[in-house]
Amino acid sequence: MIELLQQVVNGLSTGCVYAALALAISVIYQGAGILNFAQGEMATVAAYSAWSLDALGWPMWAALPVVFAGAAVLGAVIERLLVRPVEGASVLALVTVSTALLLGINGLVTVLWGTDPHSLAGPFGTKALSAGEVTVTSQQLGGAATVLVVMAAVGLFFRFSDVGLRMKAVSQNADSAVLLGIRPGRMRAAGWALAAVVGAVAGFVAAPATGVNPEMMQTPLLMAFAAAALGGFGSRVGAVVGGLALGVLTALAARYIPGLNGDLALSVPFGVIFLVLLLRPHGLFSRGSAVRA
Amino acid sequence: MSGALLVADLRAWYGKVEVLHGVGLTAEAGEIVALVGPNGAGKTTFLRGISRTVHTTGRILVDGTDVDRLDAPAVARLGVGHVPQGRGTFPELSVGENLRLGSLARGRRFRAERGADLDRLLETFPILREFLSRPAGALSGGQQQMLALARALLGRPTWLLVDEPSLGLAPSTTLDLFRMFDVLRSDWGLTILLAEQNARLSLEVADRAVVLSTGRVTFQGSAAEVAASPQLRAAYLGKEAAA
Repeated sequence: MIELLQQVVNGLSTGCVYAALALAISVIYQGAGILNFAQGEMATVAAYSAWSLDALGWPMWAALPVVFAGAAVLGAVIERLLVRPVEGASVLALVTVSTALLLGINGLVTVLWGTDPHSLAGPFGTKALSAGEVTVTSQQLGGAATVLVVMAAVGLFFRFSDVGLRMKAVSQNADSAVLLGIRPGRMRAAGWALAAVVGAVAGFVAAPATGVNPEMMQTPLLMAFAAAALGGFGSRVGAVVGGLALGVLTALAARYIPGLNGDLALSVPFGVIFLVLLLRPHGLFSRGSAVRA
Repeated sequence: MSGALLVADLRAWYGKVEVLHGVGLTAEAGEIVALVGPNGAGKTTFLRGISRTVHTTGRILVDGTDVDRLDAPAVARLGVGHVPQGRGTFPELSVGENLRLGSLARGRRFRAERGADLDRLLETFPILREFLSRPAGALSGGQQQMLALARALLGRPTWLLVDEPSLGLAPSTTLDLFRMFDVLRSDWGLTILLAEQNARLSLEVADRAVVLSTGRVTFQGSAAEVAASPQLRAAYLGKEAAA
């Protein structure tokens, strides 16, 4: 039983990263109808930025606001320069732009920072904390708390803020939104900026475990897409629940199914998703239509 | 005159097809002007031209301000409310959120009155108060039309463009709705442009009317003059039948 609890805790810790990235994907999908394949690469840029500032001697708590602000600007600039020109284009065009972003940002990361892996110490330390016989590190706990706070903040933002409400209006009916004085382009840019910040948090939380390298977010991105599909691309809550569930499922599969260590364990959650989507094609939480791109 | 709306030589195209051929209209402050004509006459395009949601050429002066070069959000903030055909509510947002979006559309000078305006509107449309937390998409057609009107009014427009409000509504609901336009005009100090296929109903509430047929104005005058005009019959029935 203790072993099981330990695996669940470990899974939730990893799942927080998937959930944050899935939330970012969901925010952009809801706002712009595009699946952002580059979400992981944008998070990688944030992780490298944090590493660079750390290497320059910046205290982590001073570096993070700068990293998150930079991520927001990057997200808004990508929307304005690369996504808005193809707004309303065919599914294939959107997939192409999204894929080009993935490859382009990955290439840019390699050019700017090289391919050598780096380590980035988390700001929460590595102290082991025990509750009974279940152990959790301060980094795991701090990372999970950070992600949960960000998720709650995003939820409150969409629930109570004027900008969040305008963003929801644009995502549902942009033609009507303009009649209420709302500029859809600005709202979509704000959505990309917000998603970039949420993704940056995922990169920042993942970095101490994965190390900082150009491929650090590839598995989390794959899992985040799976999480969003499981929860429903149109549902932010679904994305978060899906991410946490996949983290736990992967950890349990790796521990309890013989021969399913390492990357092979990833096949189990995907099998579960396949079954769920057979029964609910739009995911567990979404009422929306089929995915556009 | 303050609050007047002047449209001159408005032309619009869908692709290469010209659908408005130099339409003009003047609405004085406080008037209800009906745009009548059959399906395809250009009523919706005319209203969308004023709210700048379709590209047009010609001249549009809103209280003396030339809005030709403004975009739709800027025109909305200038005080032009538009209740589009199909209502344009946000179906997954609650009724309360839809109304909040209306309040956000207003200019700064009306911000202090948001709460009082909402209370007034909920007195005018009491059914909305019961459904504030319900998704707008769950309302009936008539309730959605009330929501769309209330949302537009919360933006404190000076000019209100209403497109086919009777579409999909039961006759009794339509009658109630049209009776409300006169009340709304006086309570909210509105100038209303009402595009409606149901000429009889709209001429009952309008001061003046414009008959549109295939993108051209064929007659305009007082509501009574238009109601008696052969051009109105021609617009709906064709020239031969009218004769």
